[in-house]
This record gives sequence, structure tokens and C-alpha cells, in this order.
Amino acid sequence: MSENGYFGVFGGKYVPEVLRRPIDELEKGFYEAIQDPSFLEELKTLQDNFIGRPTPLLFAKNATADLGGAKIYIKMEGLANTGAHKINNAIGQALLVKRMGKTRVIAETGAGQHGVATAAACAHLGIPCEIYMGEVDVRRQQPNVATMEMYGAKVIPVRSGSKTLKDAINEAMRDWASHPDTTHYLIGSALGPAPFPDMVRIFQSVIGREVKEQAAAKNLDIAALVACVGGGSNAIGFFEPYLEATAPRLIGAEAGGIGTGYGENAARMTGNAAREGIVHGYKSRFLLTEDGQMAETRSISAGLDYPGINPQFADLGVSGRVEFMAIPDKEVLEALQYFARKEGVFFALESAHAAAAALRIVKEIPKDKAIIINMSGRGDKDIFITSPVFRNRQWKEFLKSELTRLESGADIYHAKN
Amino acid sequence: MKPTSPIRLMAHLVAGFPDYETGLLIADSLVKGGAHFLEVQFAFTDPSADGPAIQTANALVLSKGFTTARAFEFVAAIHERHPDIPVFVMTYASLVYTPQVKHFVAEAKAAGVAGLIIPDLPFDHDEGLTEACKANGMVNIPVVVPSMSEERLAQIIEMKFPYLYTALRAGITGQKTVIDQNTLDFIRRVSEGGAKVLGGFGIGSGEQSKTLAPHVYSVIAGSAFINIVHELFDETHLEESRKKIAQAIEAKARELSGG
Repeated sequence: MSENGYFGVFGGKYVPEVLRRPIDELEKGFYEAIQDPSFLEELKTLQDNFIGRPTPLLFAKNATADLGGAKIYIKMEGLANTGAHKINNAIGQALLVKRMGKTRVIAETGAGQHGVATAAACAHLGIPCEIYMGEVDVRRQQPNVATMEMYGAKVIPVRSGSKTLKDAINEAMRDWASHPDTTHYLIGSALGPAPFPDMVRIFQSVIGREVKEQAAAKNLDIAALVACVGGGSNAIGFFEPYLEATAPRLIGAEAGGIGTGYGENAARMTGNAAREGIVHGYKSRFLLTEDGQMAETRSISAGLDYPGINPQFADLGVSGRVEFMAIPDKEVLEALQYFARKEGVFFALESAHAAAAALRIVKEIPKDKAIIINMSGRGDKDIFITSPVFRNRQWKEFLKSELTRLESGADIYHAKN
Repeated sequence: MKPTSPIRLMAHLVAGFPDYETGLLIADSLVKGGAHFLEVQFAFTDPSADGPAIQTANALVLSKGFTTARAFEFVAAIHERHPDIPVFVMTYASLVYTPQVKHFVAEAKAAGVAGLIIPDLPFDHDEGLTEACKANGMVNIPVVVPSMSEERLAQIIEMKFPYLYTALRAGITGQKTVIDQNTLDFIRRVSEGGAKVLGGFGIGSGEQSKTLAPHVYSVIAGSAFINIVHELFDETHLEESRKKIAQAIEAKARELSGG
């Protein structure tokens, strides 16, 4: 838990005055809600029936036998309703919105997983919602755009800046500053001004609590937990019960992108490109130029393509409690394919960073110990990114013929090929 | 030369927008049109409190490789041309915090800046900005808004800032603002501690400016000028478009300063 919104020197409420009141009201509303048994009971019911919790802890027996190191377990967060851990936080905040009497929700999304989760949560609880999404992300995560719209959300493409997650956050902040009385900004990552980092961690900590129980039931001796870290929401929730302890090892996998140079990755905790900064309402480690301009980022996964990191992770990285690794895109794709073939488990590109980090260290860990990977999301949404990589020619032919069919208005039974 | 126009106008421009030379010409035109103060914004990649007009200006400036050092040169050039016009710099926390607050403030001082407006370094999270400004004979100008809690408003009034940048409504820059009784009541409350109220957000016409002027120390206008530049700047006919911009900016400043 933060002290007055700070984790060591990181965190805080660096927001324009117009956002201070809604943030303070949210803080008060949130802490009241999580002390109220009726709120927690309602949340629990939604977790059981709407999200489908608990998610399984799967023993990856083929991969374990193949690699000959620690026992590999996969926390199957991707089996949660809407396909990723994002729903844990979205449903929690949406329930809070109802309680606080706000009538409209806005959200940002990168990979689209948080947008989908928010759209579903809002549909379920009957709250109108609008989702800001960078135009680049709209393109690379089109299936999620379709899903959000299916849930009745309005998806607003953001064309400013680099047209990715950070710009979607800017646009959501502008909207919130214009409608602070009626609207709740449902942030999906564990970042932004206090109380968001605490709130998102608390709603996501259900992952870690389940893992702890499941591991105890299986008598696992956990050597390491591995999660991907973009903003940091799945990782902070997964690690939560272990943060105060000295074991197991906690490993965060960042986006290594296509290289270590400027604009080629999104590594905030490794390498030399990141520095301490204040952006988007909080102090943390960011990819910034010497002047303090936000640097370009690059990753195959839209969800990790963000220049900042959860302020608590900045602190935990400095203290050494959490280790970080930057995983290049290529290694991510290899890990994705490995677990799909060996285990029948299809990681989202984001989560595949964690899988790749686990593959790096699993052989160093003795066989009687366990390593747990958080599969924060499943990979169905990435078909437009993975198909061109793994089956380029067939994918191109399919898209061409599908376009021809759509343009001719032919029924799918009468399409060529 | 001190301005003589009846309404004290604080006119906003973005450093280096639409280019360095035209930007300086805009500053000249604002002063000629009767501006009493200039608010020079330093471009940031993520201007989350600005509307589309200023966002686009920020992006354009940065796409040309504009740096903080160059922005300070721009300000110093304005200060040299108009030594009687106080220049305030507005930007975001990242540009002030990253090179270290003390360092940024010292650079500002060297460029002849009179004060700083950093909306995302609020008075209770200012990273030493107010102190650093004081130490350099400059002022930190916090932003106040009508929706702030009475508790915070009382705190900020108590702190006796010489100026308070008063946004007259919620939202971002460039949207329309209506000046009603609630707005006037808020302005009166804000000035209770003796702070000079700089009031703005969405002021674009002479009529609005006249309505507001009797109640504030200075009227702020920004997007109205930026929009003129967006409309008239044409790199293929540079000299001609500069002339048009200079005329239009001067006329707008005159309209807003009642001159």
C-alpha cells in the first residue's frame, strides 16, 4: 500500500487542478467501498459468475519434461471472461462507479483487452461507455475493436501524437477534465495519479491470492513468479501476496521490441533509455528524452507499448525486490509458438513475454521447485499479427479473397477458394 | 514601451510555432495589438490539458526538432525585443522535472522569464518549483478552477501567491466559455488573498473579454490566436502568409485588449 499515494519517491497526484477533485472523491469512495462487506460480496459474486473465477493453475507437464528444469505452471488468467486479467479491475471499478452515482465511463486501451473488459463490465452493469484507442492500435487489434462495439461501447480512434496507448490516455484525461462530475475514467493499468495504482493492484490481487491458495493445495515450492509488465496491472496483482516477503523471485518481462536503441523497445527498468519523470499524473520511470519529451516506443504487443510503468514497480525495481528482463519480439514469438504446440495454451503477445522470460531461467532452477507464469491474456485477439508471421502467404490469400467476396456481395458459401 | 490598451491582455503563443521566425513575428504582433503579458508555451509530446488547436501546434513544433534550449532562445529573443512585456512560460511537469526543477528555473531566469505556469505541478506537488522561482526573483503561478474543493481553495489563497491562473471552467483549452454569476463569484473568492487573477480558458472575442475584464487583473487568450495561425500559415507562400498572420494576430489582440 502506498503512503499518501507514494511508493518510495514514486507515485503522487501530479494532476491539473481540474482533475484533483474527482481523484480525491474517487479515493474516498474507493476506500469506503472496500471496507463495505456488501460491496465486497457483490464483487465476489461477479468474480465467480461473470468473470469465471478462480482461473486454473495448469501444470505444463510437456514443457517441464522437455526443458528438464523447474516445474512450469501457468496461471490461466486468459480464461477469464473477455480473455484477460483486465476484467478483474474493470468490473471492480465499474461497480464502484455505480456506487458513486456516476453515469458515464471512459477508458483508454492499448491492446484492446482493457477496452473489451470495460465494455463488457459496463454492459453487464448497464453503464454507457466510450473507449479511447490509438489509431495504430485500432489497426493492429481490430478484433478487439469489433468486440467492444459488440458490447455496445463507442470506440474513439485517437489520431494525436504517436497514436498509441499514451495518446489514448491523454485523450481520456482531456475528456475527464471536461466532464469530471458525471464521468469516471476507468484506468486499466496500474498507473496514473493516486489512488489508481493502489486501486488497480487491489482489484487485480485476486490473481495472486488464488495462486497462493492453488500452489499451497498442490504443495508447490515456488522459486519464481513471472509476469509481463506494460503498465503493470497483471504483474502487480499476481505478485501482490509476495511483495512484502523476500521469496519467491518476482520477475517482470518488459517489451524488448526490435532492439536496444532509441525508439526500438519499451524497456523502462532495464537498459539506459529510461529515467525518472513525471507524466500522466504520476512520478515513475519513463522513456524520456533529455528534455523530458516522451520517447517513441516499439513492441509487437500493443499492451506493452507504453513509455511509463506502475510507480510501485519503479520502487520495487530500485529496491531489487522485482527483477526485470527485456524480451525482444522474436523471442516472444518463439515462446508463443512453443507453449501453443507443447501445451495447447495460446498466450497473448503481451503474456508471451512472461513465457519467454520463464524459458530463459527455467533450466537454472532445480526440478523440485516451481516457476509460475501468469498468462494474463490469451492470444485469439492477435490473429492479425501472428498470422502474417507464421502463415504469411495463406493469410494474404485469405484476406484478398475475403475482400473480393465482401466487395462483390457474394454469400460466404459461394466465394472462390 | 509600456502598453496603453484598456484591457490587460495576457496573450498565449507556442514557442517556435509555426516556425521560429514567424513565432517571433507573432509575439511582435501581439504586443503591437496591445498585449500586456505574453504566455509562451513550450511544446510537449503529451499535452493532456490542451485542446486540438494547441495540441496540433505542439506536435508541429516538435516535428521540426524543437528543443527546450531553442525555446529559451525564443523567449530570450522576445524579451530583448520587448523588455517591458513580462513573459511567462507555460509547460508540463515533464519538461521542468526531467532536467531538474532548479536547472529549468535558472534557465528561465537567464532568458528573462517573469514566471512559470505548470498545471501538473499543483501547489502541494510542486517539486520545489515555488521556492526555486522565489530564489530567482520569479513567480510560480498555480492554476485554480471553479470545481476545486473549498479546502484546497482556502489553502491556495492562504499561500499568498502573487498571481493565480484562473481557469473559468472545467475542460481543456479552446472550448467555449460562458461568463456567468458563478464565474464572477469564483473570481472574487480567488482574489480574496490579494492575488492578481489572470482569467481565461476559451476567451476568443472582444465581447467576452470586455465582460470579463472588470473582474480580473488580466484576461488570458490563447487558442483564438493559435487558430489564426493554423488557418493562415502557408509554407509555400511564406512571406505572404507571415504578413497575413501578423495583421490578423494584431487585429485579434487589439479586439481582445479593447484597444
